[in-house]
Amino acid sequence: MGGTNTKATADELTATEKRVLLALGEERGEWNQKTLSEKTDINEDAVMQTAFMLAQKGLCEINEWEKNYYRLTAEGVVYYAQRLPERRGLDLLIDREEATFEELKNAFPDEAEANISTNWLLRKGWARIEEKEGEKFLTPTGNTSWIPPEVPKDRYSRVGVDEEILRIARDAGDIEENILLSRLKERIPEIKDRSIKSFLGDLVGKRDLLERYTIVERRISITGVGKEILSQGISVEEEIAQLTPELIRTGSWKGRKFKRYDVNLSSKETFAAKIHPYQRILDRMRRIFTEMGFTEIKGELVQSAFWNFDALFVPQDHPARDMQDTFYLATRKRIEASEELIKNVKQMHEHGGSLNSTGWGGEWRKELGEELLLRTHTTAITLGYLASHSEPPVKVFCIDRVYRRETIDATHIPEFDQLEGIVMDRGVTFSNLLGCLLTFYKKMGFPSIRFRPGYFPYTEPSVEVEVYMPARGWIELGGAGVFREEVTNPMGVKYPVLAWGLGIGRLAMISLGLTDIRDLYHSDMDWLRNARGFR
Amino acid sequence: MPVIRLFYDDLEKLTSVSIEKIKERLPLMCADVERIEAEYMDVEFFPNRPDLFSVEGVSRALKQFLDIEPGLVTYEVEKSGIEMVVEASVLEVRPYIVCGVVKNLQLDSNAIESLMLLQEHLHRGIGRNREKVSVGVHDLAKVKPPFRYLAVDPGFSFVPLDYEEEMSMEEILERHPKGIAFRYILEGKAKYPLILDSEGKTLSFPPIINAEQTRVAKSTKDIFIEVTGLNENVSSALNVIACALAERSGQIQSVVLRSLPGDRKEVEKETPCFEPGTMEISVKEVNSLIGIELSAEECKKCCERMGLVVEAKPEGTMAVKIPAYRYDILHPWDIIEDIAIGYGYDRIKPEIPGTMVIGEVHQIEEKKRAVREVMTGLGYFEVLTFTLTSERKQFELMKRNLKKFDVVKVASPISTEHTMLRCSMLPNLLEILSLNKHRDLPQRIFEVGPVVLNYKEKCRLAAVSTHANANFAEVKSVMDAVLKEMGLEDAEVVESEDGAFLEGRRADIFKKSLTKNATHIGVFGELHPEVILNFGLSYPVVGFEVDI
Repeated sequence: MGGTNTKATADELTATEKRVLLALGEERGEWNQKTLSEKTDINEDAVMQTAFMLAQKGLCEINEWEKNYYRLTAEGVVYYAQRLPERRGLDLLIDREEATFEELKNAFPDEAEANISTNWLLRKGWARIEEKEGEKFLTPTGNTSWIPPEVPKDRYSRVGVDEEILRIARDAGDIEENILLSRLKERIPEIKDRSIKSFLGDLVGKRDLLERYTIVERRISITGVGKEILSQGISVEEEIAQLTPELIRTGSWKGRKFKRYDVNLSSKETFAAKIHPYQRILDRMRRIFTEMGFTEIKGELVQSAFWNFDALFVPQDHPARDMQDTFYLATRKRIEASEELIKNVKQMHEHGGSLNSTGWGGEWRKELGEELLLRTHTTAITLGYLASHSEPPVKVFCIDRVYRRETIDATHIPEFDQLEGIVMDRGVTFSNLLGCLLTFYKKMGFPSIRFRPGYFPYTEPSVEVEVYMPARGWIELGGAGVFREEVTNPMGVKYPVLAWGLGIGRLAMISLGLTDIRDLYHSDMDWLRNARGFR
Repeated sequence: MPVIRLFYDDLEKLTSVSIEKIKERLPLMCADVERIEAEYMDVEFFPNRPDLFSVEGVSRALKQFLDIEPGLVTYEVEKSGIEMVVEASVLEVRPYIVCGVVKNLQLDSNAIESLMLLQEHLHRGIGRNREKVSVGVHDLAKVKPPFRYLAVDPGFSFVPLDYEEEMSMEEILERHPKGIAFRYILEGKAKYPLILDSEGKTLSFPPIINAEQTRVAKSTKDIFIEVTGLNENVSSALNVIACALAERSGQIQSVVLRSLPGDRKEVEKETPCFEPGTMEISVKEVNSLIGIELSAEECKKCCERMGLVVEAKPEGTMAVKIPAYRYDILHPWDIIEDIAIGYGYDRIKPEIPGTMVIGEVHQIEEKKRAVREVMTGLGYFEVLTFTLTSERKQFELMKRNLKKFDVVKVASPISTEHTMLRCSMLPNLLEILSLNKHRDLPQRIFEVGPVVLNYKEKCRLAAVSTHANANFAEVKSVMDAVLKEMGLEDAEVVESEDGAFLEGRRADIFKKSLTKNATHIGVFGELHPEVILNFGLSYPVVGFEVDI
């Protein structure tokens, strides 16, 4: 880092970084996190974090190494207080001159400790086994210390190196390995490092009386660049982290530095509550039709078969009227229509009424029209509207829930939404119907549309609308047609009625990228949270 | 709707048109191409056009539509000299019967399969599952005319199709797959319909099953067709079948039907009858309905493409002759649609109607939109759920009393989960929470939509919030905010007894009125721990539901 950059670097330092750098620049020259923390009055974690930041900028150097430490384990503390089991065993043997295994065992709180005592008595050579008249005895050998061969035995009666180590560790609390070694050598100058390691190994590994652990130690020292920055002089001022009402009110923020934040730091994720994406599509359709001059109408979910089927000239034996396909209720109700309309519909079904039509033939039964059902299309609503608004012009639409008796799977659900619309006026034509549909789909964002012949019992001519999707080809989205005169005549309507019923679910699945239609109604919170508000 | 499999070699043989051309034009001719494979395509035809339910019928229509053989196809009918005696006994069971014969056929396996499928489609559509119309075809060489159509005791036995041993009609209804499937049609009848030949051999037990001995096979040259039923549609079905077979170079012959001398209801006719029907339409009506400008000559051409013939009449009217296999034409507009198809839907220019009116969104939708705005502003996500639900979810899991309401129950539900229309939306929201148990909390959701109470529909808003600290204070403050937005800040809040909520932490909302008693419009509170557990949830849930 060249000298020209040092000024810029000094300006970019936070107040904390400046304080730490100033401390590092002091005479002493070498610091660890503890001393640096004490000096700067910043806690150890924060001071190390700051040191790392400074190191990244090349202003200080951090050297790391590991050190071994020792301390007594919980068992070690107990044994140190009570003395080692083999020492207590030896005292007993010296006292009695000899003892059986049984006698030794009785002197200890449990068998395990007695066994430890016996094992180590033999291993350290403090006792041996003798047999008298078929019975085994332990007798003291005269050795009372446990020290390596290089150490003269006579100088150290009644103490072992292991006992000495435990004492030093106990006195020091936590002790670093080198310190432990030097303290032991003060007591037993002749001892070699190799022997000490072997004693430590027994205490840590075999007997679990000492615990060994490592601590990473760091030395932090200032670099040449750091010194250069210090030599130019830096001033430490407190930076503002949180702007407070008090700072604003008192004006004390003026001339102060604001702590800089990393603008790319990841933050806690948060989500805007929103209208359901499918509802947005429904609302968009609603808006398009009102823009096209249509008035929205509403009606009941429960309808009579008369309004759902008969008024639409669906023959009473038509398969769509089966229990298999329609949700009937267990109840019936008087048909909500004038006697005249019911009579007209009956005649239309039976022989074509006053029209040049054959009708369906057979007898039309009023009681079948009285059956209640969950509407299978919203056409029941538009028809009811038409019956009470038989004079032109009529331009209405309905977006609402309809029911079909479908078993639920990825592409079928028993209730879904339909978009229905009609135009009734003097001189409207089939080409006007195509015009309305084309306009709607274009506004929905489907530029390629084609019309194919279709079939519905209540429209003639009938048409199916297909839109082109580059990845899927032609997709059928809706049916439309001009209501048959057999439908409109009984209601006193004298002009053509252009009508359509468009499925919405399929279109919604495509534009929301769903493959399972049930997902529209079983909202996953994360899907909702991540659904984009703007499209 | 019927889906017909059309094999390319068969189709090319019958039409001499290239498959590429057929693929391109077929969608514009009352057909929906479902699938295109290397050797065949599956095409869906509309249920009102059984004349297209066979490769023969499709070929005939294609030849007309593509201007190869436009106009009315006429089929010559010779007399077969065969008689069918209709006995009085059968008139009460299955009164209609028509018959015909097609001779000199050469049937391959494609042709036999096509014939069987056509029969099935006719049974399902025009036959209303064989009840109204059912068709039987027989190898004429195996039986000896004249035939008899009569009703007999259920004990009568013969060898039915696909079986080797004799069975009584009663046994057939009990054991034969077709008997089991269609016995409902004969329910309550003391005698069953039967067709016999002059030697007493069985042809058919309509509408259930044919006899094995008259089975149509590749060796069959002459076919006897009988169609029985409950209405005049028997003739349409016969015409469709006979014409389809005639397209395979068969010769159609008629059968004489007559009653026994002395029977009260006398039948005396000859079938099939291919006399075309006639309907009059005006060129002006054609143009004004479709929105195009066609001359009488052009109209005629379009008709011919659809297999209709036209006799021009003075003053712009036309007499249109309708072939005997088309029974879907009830009204002049049916012909106008044919003209539009003949003209080509792709050639009709879409035009926006000139009707000028002011558009308007329904006021309840305006209100729902405002409610959605308020709820999202309060941090609630909108969800959409089904209105079909079950008594268990609506009442049992909610600790609510079923008897309080008259609910809209479905007579034959698809599953135990969907038996009624909801009268509360809170259970639906709790269900959504249970589907989202693995998602981060807090979760706050709402729905605005219909409920049905005592057969009256109401528009409601319901909302729930769940997280470790959800409590009454939270839902009360949200409820207050919503009521204020709805202009109901003076609504009365009274301690509630709604079992779905915790006692002492639940409230009813009443709307005040100057003229009548305050009306109950909603409820809010902390959901009862049992309800929370019933929906498989484990965090506190608060919520409300209110009429809007």
